[in-house]
Amino acid sequence: MPQLQRREVVITGVGVVNAAVVGASPALGAWLREPRPVARSRAGGGRPAVRLPEGTLAGLIDPDEARRLARVCRLTIAAARFAVAEAGLDPAAGLGIVVGSELGDFTSTIAFADGYLARGPAGLSALLFPNTVMNTMAATTAIAVAARERTLTLNVPTVAGELAIARATAAVASGRADAVLAGGVDELDPLVAEMLDALGDDGVRGEGATFLVLEAERVARARGARVLGRIAGAAWRSLPARPWGVGRGVASRAIAEALAQAGREAPDWLYASASGDATRDAWESRVLSAALGSRRVPSVSLGALIGHHAGLGALHVAAAAWTARVGLLPAIGGGAERVAGGGLVHGLGRGGGHVALIVEAA
Amino acid sequence: MRRVLVTGLGAVSPFGAGVKTYWAGLAAGTCAIRPLSLIDATGFRCRIAAEVPDVGAGSARRSRADRLALGAAAEALEDAGLGAADRANAALVVGAVGGGMLEAESWYWARARGERPPRWAASLRAMLPAAHAEALAHRLGLGGPRHTVVTACSSGAVALAEAAELIADGVVDVALAGGVDAVTRMCFMGFNALKLLDPEPCRPFDRDRRGMSIGEGAAFVVLEAAEHARARGVRPHAELAGHGTTTDAYHVTAPQPEGEGMARAMRAALVAGGVAPDAIGYANAHGTATPQNDRIEARAIAQVFGAGRLLVSSTKSMIGHTMAAAGSLEAVATILALTHETIPPTASLLTPDPEVEFDCVPRVARERAVEHAISNSFGFGGQNITLLFRRA
Repeated sequence: MPQLQRREVVITGVGVVNAAVVGASPALGAWLREPRPVARSRAGGGRPAVRLPEGTLAGLIDPDEARRLARVCRLTIAAARFAVAEAGLDPAAGLGIVVGSELGDFTSTIAFADGYLARGPAGLSALLFPNTVMNTMAATTAIAVAARERTLTLNVPTVAGELAIARATAAVASGRADAVLAGGVDELDPLVAEMLDALGDDGVRGEGATFLVLEAERVARARGARVLGRIAGAAWRSLPARPWGVGRGVASRAIAEALAQAGREAPDWLYASASGDATRDAWESRVLSAALGSRRVPSVSLGALIGHHAGLGALHVAAAAWTARVGLLPAIGGGAERVAGGGLVHGLGRGGGHVALIVEAA
Repeated sequence: MRRVLVTGLGAVSPFGAGVKTYWAGLAAGTCAIRPLSLIDATGFRCRIAAEVPDVGAGSARRSRADRLALGAAAEALEDAGLGAADRANAALVVGAVGGGMLEAESWYWARARGERPPRWAASLRAMLPAAHAEALAHRLGLGGPRHTVVTACSSGAVALAEAAELIADGVVDVALAGGVDAVTRMCFMGFNALKLLDPEPCRPFDRDRRGMSIGEGAAFVVLEAAEHARARGVRPHAELAGHGTTTDAYHVTAPQPEGEGMARAMRAALVAGGVAPDAIGYANAHGTATPQNDRIEARAIAQVFGAGRLLVSSTKSMIGHTMAAAGSLEAVATILALTHETIPPTASLLTPDPEVEFDCVPRVARERAVEHAISNSFGFGGQNITLLFRRA
């Protein structure tokens, strides 16, 4: 099959808002040098989870603007603005958006339903309704950062952030877009946490948003942007599994294809999507073993520290760019391993979504 | 860039299962909008919708939306004559909004009453929009790139564009793409709350239109690289010659008043397809029948093509607004208009709106052979897309 010519794709901006990191790539780098677990709380029900402290968002979004926005949209916009500002990008030159989310705005959806259940048709809120559609974060962010090109919202369990970055990378690599703001966002509604518990997802859950500005390298260099890293390969495939289920198959072309795009035989290190969801994590280990063989590849997942959410996959990509730049792979529990070369950001989701990205220094 | 052909069609519409049934309903100008049966509409001004009469397609343990999707997807794969090997590498892109919300709502409504309904776990597992793609990939043996796009009411059309790019860029040779939505309480109640629903069947482009009608359904197409289809000896239905995708960045629910984003999408589709505006003979409009949408869309079409220069119709007049399925059901209607050389009507159009400067094919289908046609879809958040089809 003809693989058409691929443009180089680079990262020029990073924005993170979660319980551990708030800010652009310097804030993320500072945390990655010594990543500590973040306190988990049981607020609202379900098992302990990593929640964004009250007040974090208050300082990030103007109160007038915040009044019109659901919390998950505020999270998205705050992270998006960090990324666009770091990139020094003028959205008028053409900016697209790809938002990955596993859960969307369930808080508004539940509030909308509760209005009806309490008061019948008179209890329905016309203001809440648009938030029940999962593209609400992308729509409000497009307005907030004046992005007028293609706007996509991608939904998939576990790997929505990785998928959003992979999809955006493909759009830039193919020449269909010069600049895309891409990443993931989720918030943890207490009822949703309860439902996930009931379904047997026993990972550490979190909430937050991470967004990256991806650009064609030639365009970014021409405007003098600081380049934070290169996404040298990106591919996604489907492994058989029932909805929300954990499958058995391990044969997927995602890793091989991402490596081939990057011209590599194997990654030198990797970020995996493990977050303590035992059956899913075991499946991911088998998929990685099948693809990488017996070769020892230093690996880390930050999911157990900051909790699983759609922002995590995008954060792993930003962290991989940091690792490629400084040569350190963070270790859970302190310290860091010296590494070199390029790494794999790997995501395998409940339901069988499979994503592989190769990240290198640029 | 490789050419992308449509080699398989599948639809489950408010007329019933199957593409033949769908086209028969459209060509006859039949309105399938009737009193709601799936949900309790007591106390609402609008109590009608276009429901699918017989969902069929597999176990009742699946969500209604999953069954709609499976029916349409299986028909499209069979129509394309795809074998297991092609399926194993085929991409799958699904446009979705409501997911399995109809069943999740039943769970939540019961929970609010202090009950624990049966099959609650199955309802929750199938609740997210992504669940359709998981069910389809698992059931139909699709192992290529898979993703679910949520762009509100344009999701189904965006799914086709996404799949077309994977083929054009050489990632896959074959893709299954489409959209699906079942009627849900959320959707019905939400559009009621926004006062956007007509208590009578909707009348797109009519001077006296009063809003939209909700519908449900699914449509899937098989898209295929031209050389791959040729090698298999398959006769295509049409070529997906281009698409344009834009964002208004203006308002969460209202379109930009001049239709700037809509017009930009139509122009981008023409550029992508390498087609001049006067080559387009028909536009299957988004045409929701809200006062605002139809006026702004007509203005945008006029900006790009010139007032009155092509036929415009809204098939939502017959099947309602099927939400995430709308873009794909209307893409199939547009392809069928090309192959049958017949333009489906705007079924309920009695008094044309003088602000809409187009022949909107009132009530009766029109025999007309056209070489190129577009299908417009616009979603909340100003998510605009135009698909451009060429006769094969």
